[in-house]
Amino acid sequence: MDLLRILLSRCAALFRRKELDAELDEELQSHIDFAFEENVARGLSEEEARRAALVRFGGVTQTREAYRVRRGMPFLEQMVRDVRFGLRQLRRSSGFAVTAILTLALGLGANTAVFSLINALMLRPLPVPHAEELAVLRIDRSDQKAPSYFFCGPVFRALEKRHEAFQDSAAFADFTLQVRSGSGIAVIPGALVSGEFFHALQTQPLLGRVLTPMDDQPGGGGTGFGVVISEGFWRSWFNSAPDVVGRKLTIANSPFTVVGVMPKRFIGADATERPEIYAPLWAEPVIHAPFNMTAAGYRISWLRVVARRAPGVSLEQANAALRAASNPILDESVPDATWVKAQRSRHFQFAAEPGTEGYSDLRSAFKKPLIAVFSMCGAMLLLACLNLASLLMARAAARERELATRLAMGATRGRLIRQLMMESLLIAVLGTAAGLAVAPLVSRSLAALLVGRSRFTTLDTSLDLRVYLFAVLIAALATVLVGLIPALRATSGNLNEQIKNGSHAASAQERKRWLPRVLLGLEVALALMLVVGAGLLGTSLSRLYHTGLGFEPKGVINLDLDMKHQPLDGEALVRWYQAFGDALGHQPRVKSVSFASVIPLSGGWWDGDFHTPLSHGDREIYMNAVAPAYFQTMRIPIAGGRDFQWSDTRTSSPKIILSRSAAKTLFSGQNAIGQQVMGEEKKIYEVIGVVGDTQYASIKEAAPAEAYLPITQDDSKKPSYAAVVRMEGSAVPLAAAARALAARMAPEIQPPVMTTISDNLDASIKSERMMALLAAFFAGCALLVTAIGLYGTLAYATARRTSEIGIRMALGARRAQVVGMVFRENAWIAVVGSLAGLGAALLASRMLASFLYGTSARDPWVMAASVGALAVIASAASLVPAVRAARVEPMTALRTE
Amino acid sequence: MGENKSDVLQGTLDLMVLKTLESMGPLHGYGIARRIEQVSDDALTLNQGTIYPALLRLEQRGWIKSEWGTSESNRRAKFYSLSRIGRKQIEKETEDWERIAATMARFLAPSN
Repeated sequence: MDLLRILLSRCAALFRRKELDAELDEELQSHIDFAFEENVARGLSEEEARRAALVRFGGVTQTREAYRVRRGMPFLEQMVRDVRFGLRQLRRSSGFAVTAILTLALGLGANTAVFSLINALMLRPLPVPHAEELAVLRIDRSDQKAPSYFFCGPVFRALEKRHEAFQDSAAFADFTLQVRSGSGIAVIPGALVSGEFFHALQTQPLLGRVLTPMDDQPGGGGTGFGVVISEGFWRSWFNSAPDVVGRKLTIANSPFTVVGVMPKRFIGADATERPEIYAPLWAEPVIHAPFNMTAAGYRISWLRVVARRAPGVSLEQANAALRAASNPILDESVPDATWVKAQRSRHFQFAAEPGTEGYSDLRSAFKKPLIAVFSMCGAMLLLACLNLASLLMARAAARERELATRLAMGATRGRLIRQLMMESLLIAVLGTAAGLAVAPLVSRSLAALLVGRSRFTTLDTSLDLRVYLFAVLIAALATVLVGLIPALRATSGNLNEQIKNGSHAASAQERKRWLPRVLLGLEVALALMLVVGAGLLGTSLSRLYHTGLGFEPKGVINLDLDMKHQPLDGEALVRWYQAFGDALGHQPRVKSVSFASVIPLSGGWWDGDFHTPLSHGDREIYMNAVAPAYFQTMRIPIAGGRDFQWSDTRTSSPKIILSRSAAKTLFSGQNAIGQQVMGEEKKIYEVIGVVGDTQYASIKEAAPAEAYLPITQDDSKKPSYAAVVRMEGSAVPLAAAARALAARMAPEIQPPVMTTISDNLDASIKSERMMALLAAFFAGCALLVTAIGLYGTLAYATARRTSEIGIRMALGARRAQVVGMVFRENAWIAVVGSLAGLGAALLASRMLASFLYGTSARDPWVMAASVGALAVIASAASLVPAVRAARVEPMTALRTE
Repeated sequence: MGENKSDVLQGTLDLMVLKTLESMGPLHGYGIARRIEQVSDDALTLNQGTIYPALLRLEQRGWIKSEWGTSESNRRAKFYSLSRIGRKQIEKETEDWERIAATMARFLAPSN
């Protein structure tokens, strides 16, 4: 109580210092006057009376000081003074201050940005109550290195019924939904969810109710399928109508009833997705028509499963229960005994892992790249700190005399350290503020680089408490690292000697300069590591880009068509494609048009088993269905035989075109054209041509064996193909023309989506691209920062040696000798630092090995080039002060002392 | 804000100030200092200045109040008086002091 009152009164006093000072002066004055009057009354002379009064009082100044200390907050006031002094110091050397703040902002900003990505992807819990009780279920099999997170329908349905370990188990699958609006069809991100999904995530709806197991039935509940919508969708689509519950939505041409609205914070079970419509799992055949994964049963695994542990059940116990349930569930759910046997022989087993953050495909894809990037950021920050420390130390050395004088005049060592720390604290605070200001921008663009411009995936990189804590932590660490060492250094040592020595470079000081050298050496080593990393990643990326694709992607655009929901099928649909292709071909500057089911490097794939008498059994071959002129459009060379024709219809015998690798695999190098190939279900194809190999699923793999079937003989239901168009010049007019054509020729379909293979190419190696770009950026910064460090410290050191250099020159040293002497000082730092850095880089680059394609982690060219680049930068940075030192006029230098 | 080694003396001074204000009513700094000197028969010659930090401390604790006023000699001065908390506090402080004094007395008594 007392303490609080004292504190309050002291705080209040802070703001009325002047007023209170005046009041105190008046009070003390009145005291002296009283004493004086009394003394005069006792008969003393005025002179004596005044003296006696003052003597009796004891020092007025001391009283005033003691009073002030007690009145205000001397610690705080001192701090304010230190801040003012620090700011003044920084303003005076604004070049130094700007460099310091920028380098630190860069280091801190990059770290915070990457951390916020890591936070978004790996650390932030799902925004649902008691997220820590959630588990993500997976399937382990002895024949697969990585576990599978995808379940098939029947197995999940059997799992869902068991409640020993989990109170609720929920399956979900993200889907893009085609919702009919007044003006056409909108594509909305959605999710299919099982009955216990909302119960497992324990979130109350904003309006209406959530979906329950009663809704997740074949055909929906009593009144058809219900859907739950997001708050955002409610606002935009229904204009926040309060009577939205009970309204209808037409999804994939079928009616659905809105039963509830979820609050904005609810994002489902995958933090990187934002479904706007949740529909029951059993609605899949309706939404996905003409496909039907529900009917495909155990043959398609498409469901991700999260579950909430029952009260009092630990993850270990849940895991044990799941393991025990694995075989019974298989037996119970899958009618195919051979399949079940095969799974058992591969030790098919369920497992649960912590699911606080929910499940995301992105996490497994980007975890390693992000951690690698995070380490690069860490190195960058360390480099920035080392750089600042050595600069501050050099600066403090230049201020030694000032500090020594202040020590001699009674300042305590702690007081000086506090003041010097305040300077580095200011730099750190300003740097952190600048870094934090740009961090959201950086992390958003990084997220965009990773996720692409997809509407359906998001990385929420907003800064939350965790990110702020992290930023504060590293800022504090940086401050201590940056400020403490130089402050301790500068105030240690024999101050008498320092005053005596003045700015002579004395032998004692010479000896204690090993610390800045070590710091600079470390800096050089770190910079070299970053440069080597960037070099390796860059080389790898450029090799990826220059891999022969087998086709010419430049000038080719793709128009994705979705034909699932229009009436044509079979021969009629083939004729439609032909007509659409012809219409596109008549557009200006279009050179050729074809269609394909799989666009290379788009991420889609399809494979089949084929054999011939020469193939030693079934061979797995990647497949594609293409229209005539595909090879011409893509510029894939036809090595022999002929292309498909529109007249190769279903009534003619099945045709196939093989890639060179496929022909070699199936025919052991003998002539394939005219031969027969046996496919699945004993279908026999005639090989009519052989074409060049191309990249297929991923640029990171070698070109695989590939077979092409004609779309004219494709017997799947309402197949959707992408138009492949080779053209000259801008594709923009074509996009509009294609939309108009599609709207005229097939009003039921959504407008075609335009992509290019170059986009696909970039997307398929986006984490590599991100890493290489960032590494190059960090390496550039590292070189710059190191150059600044080498230059700055040498410049300060040389400035202190001006008189020494003057003497040397007066005694006959030539300018070249002086340049050499100064230059050498940095040269050996650079050499030793580079050697250490090279060693460390050789060790650390192994970490990068898994990200490198066609590039050795110890590529000698990259190593040599990195050392070369560093040597050039270091020399340039050191030469400037050296040359400046040699310009010293001996007489001027000697006179300044 | 650190306390220094004259703490014991300060505590004593605090009690003296409180007792003075209790018996004399509102009084200015000089008056308090003089009164303490008189009561102690000038045995305690304190630097009169030390009374001001003590007064500030007591005021910060809320034990005394201050007010500008005019003295009998028509001089402007700051007058201090006991607050309600201060009045209660005197009792406690007195007890504390007596306990310390008694303890000290026991230490200083010649041992038989």
